Amino acid sequence: MKPFQKVCLFKSLLANCCCHSQVDSCLLPPVAKKIGCIVRLHNHGFWRPKPLLDTARFTLSFNSWHRKNHQNSQALWKHEAVQKYLETLSKEYQQVSHQLSTDSLNDFEQRTLRRRCADLSPIAAAFQEIKEAEREVQELEAMCTELDSRDEKQLLQLALEEKESLDKKMNVLCRKLFQLLVPKEKYDGSPVILEVTAGRTTGGDICQQFTKEMFEMYQSYADYKHWTFDIVNYAPAEIGGLHHAAAHISGENVYRHLKYEGGTHRVQRIPETGLSSRMQRIHTGTMSVIVLPQPEEVDVKVDPKDLRIDTFRARGAGGQHVNKTDSAVRIVHLPTGLAVECQQERSQQLNKEIALRTLRAKLYQQVIEKQLSQEQSARKLQLGTRAQSERIRTYNFTQDRVTDHRISYDARNIKEILSGKEALDKLINRLLEFAEVEAVTQYLENLQALEGGG
Amino acid sequence: MRCLIHPLLRKLLSLPPQRVPGQRTPSKGAVLSPEQLFVRESCSAGPGLVTATDMVNYWHRVFETNGIPEAQESSQYIVSFVLGAKTFQSLDSKSLHTPLTALQQQQIQQLSHKRLQRMPVQYVLGEWDFQDLTLKMRPPVFIPRPETEDLVSLVVEEEFQKCENSALCFPVPVPHPVILEIGCGSGAIALSLLCKLPQSRVIAMDKEETAVDLTRENAHRLQLQERIHIIHQDVSHSSPKQLLLWGPIDVIVSNPPYIFHEDMASLDAEILHYEDLDALDGGDDGMRVIKAILALAPSLLKVSGSVFLEVDPRHPDMVEHWLQAHPDLLLTLRAIHKDFCGKPRFLHIQKQSS
Repeated sequence: MKPFQKVCLFKSLLANCCCHSQVDSCLLPPVAKKIGCIVRLHNHGFWRPKPLLDTARFTLSFNSWHRKNHQNSQALWKHEAVQKYLETLSKEYQQVSHQLSTDSLNDFEQRTLRRRCADLSPIAAAFQEIKEAEREVQELEAMCTELDSRDEKQLLQLALEEKESLDKKMNVLCRKLFQLLVPKEKYDGSPVILEVTAGRTTGGDICQQFTKEMFEMYQSYADYKHWTFDIVNYAPAEIGGLHHAAAHISGENVYRHLKYEGGTHRVQRIPETGLSSRMQRIHTGTMSVIVLPQPEEVDVKVDPKDLRIDTFRARGAGGQHVNKTDSAVRIVHLPTGLAVECQQERSQQLNKEIALRTLRAKLYQQVIEKQLSQEQSARKLQLGTRAQSERIRTYNFTQDRVTDHRISYDARNIKEILSGKEALDKLINRLLEFAEVEAVTQYLENLQALEGGG
Repeated sequence: MRCLIHPLLRKLLSLPPQRVPGQRTPSKGAVLSPEQLFVRESCSAGPGLVTATDMVNYWHRVFETNGIPEAQESSQYIVSFVLGAKTFQSLDSKSLHTPLTALQQQQIQQLSHKRLQRMPVQYVLGEWDFQDLTLKMRPPVFIPRPETEDLVSLVVEEEFQKCENSALCFPVPVPHPVILEIGCGSGAIALSLLCKLPQSRVIAMDKEETAVDLTRENAHRLQLQERIHIIHQDVSHSSPKQLLLWGPIDVIVSNPPYIFHEDMASLDAEILHYEDLDALDGGDDGMRVIKAILALAPSLLKVSGSVFLEVDPRHPDMVEHWLQAHPDLLLTLRAIHKDFCGKPRFLHIQKQSS
């Protein structure tokens, strides 16, 4: 019974992480439950951004925190709960590596632990790196205070510059860390179908014109990202704009980058054509973008236990007793009731193989159809009612400004954004970062809700 | 229609003896004659034109009227065969509706008349499929049954597993298994194994010369003659020496006669009148040849070598008891596998290591 005892020991040592990591592939196991809810005020020096927390009740402030401050990853890093959580992960990593170094593990335990270790090690490494950077910043901070009192302006300037570059480094490191923490979304790596549709406007062609510019922007962006951009359909408007178009885009992490582009985009500009005096004013128009992931492979597994295979031979004695030529095979997939038949071949075994292949294809079809209907609802959601209130972004040509309403992000120079290069990439990365921060926040919130409820 | 004049055929087809071809008034109360039906059914393609579908319908009715089993399947296989297809379902609609040539009609008629004499369809066509192989079939050589396709799959799986296991532990040269098939008949098992296991060599033996000849013919047709050694010999009178030409054997596989003698009388006419009954009759307990194989196996097999047998569903227990009663043979029943109908049909027996 030795192996069993080992398993018990192993289970008790790693109860939290192992059991849960099987249920939830996400890298945030409930060790975070151990995070205390008591929050003390952060000791913040002048170099820190706005204070994150100013109330004692953690849950309350935490709930409202991320909505008030659309901050970057670094701000989240400074949050107490996050730090504690990372500390726990880091400790767990040490524990797991220690466990692995001892020989008293069986194969299964070793495999599980090694997988966990591989998951944790980049997080632990990033955590250490950030902590070191933070220590450096603190040293600089102390120096600055000292310098400030001595009135040594030049040195102070240098120290501040150094601190700024360290700050940037911290930001990059934090971003990396949270990317590691946030579980990858199912379709992040999938190719997508991107659809653009001009909104209905009252005057001028600005919607169609804008739709065309937007479609070209995504085309350039695909080019910038070295993706493949295949136009699926293209319906131009008579006056030179675009009514509707769709493209299939494939490449590295296409859906991950484009998923937040779906929604209504608003344009404000003076029409370039139709310059009657009546038209010489700012018009507001819309266009909508729909981004749907296109998973390439669907796994269809058929359990032999779920199959009922009928042949004419089931009736008789079979074997040498019977010589019949009916080689037809009928297979029923019991969970779905799907039935397939094959009598293409004289060999019964071949008929069975063909029938099984057909069954798998049919099940695949069902999965695809289900996925399609899910996509359809996603499409509806993204399309919305094309009402201006659901707009995600405004392109104001007269002010030469692009505003993303979801993250209160302003960018000057519309032309740069529409060229689909660095400026757009920067905007999209801000959206991704925001989403990551929100995902981590939400996760920790949920944990706390669980903790509070239990 | 010409052959219908033959008096013997008339008798076989239970046609009224005085009927003259071309006379089309149906006689009251007579069994539907092929000719009458033929006239009616052939109308769909216009006067004088007969399609594959017409032919199938026509012979289906004739077979049915004459009590031939699998009337529809038989007519479909025969018509498809003449049209160069394997099954009626694999014919496209074009070939189904194109009028048949006189030669094709004649061929169908000739083959169908054989079937009317209860000749198994496989013998009528002179060929049948076993897994993905098409093999010549000739009376009285035993016609392989669909269950046996799974016996081959079992042996193949076992060999694949052996390769995987050995590859995991330490690198070994690719195994070249030597397989012995006892009672090869048309060669279905032996040739299928040679196809699925490209490194293998097979010794195939049968006590009937017709079987040995057919196996050889099929091996040549499939260009597998290089890796097969065919021996004309009875397992009951074999000495190990003759079978060890390639050294000790890895796998013995056999679909021996296993029908209990008392069951023989209840077999269909197709089997009783056409197939070699020695290939089916296993004696009073159906184990006559099974015992002979197991008695010979230990002196042929390598250590841990295997015997794969197809048997009657009553046999697994009987064989197990018999092996327990003969411990000197050093054989153990490793596994009993079911056929696609869920009946215990296949035995995996292994030679013990000491």
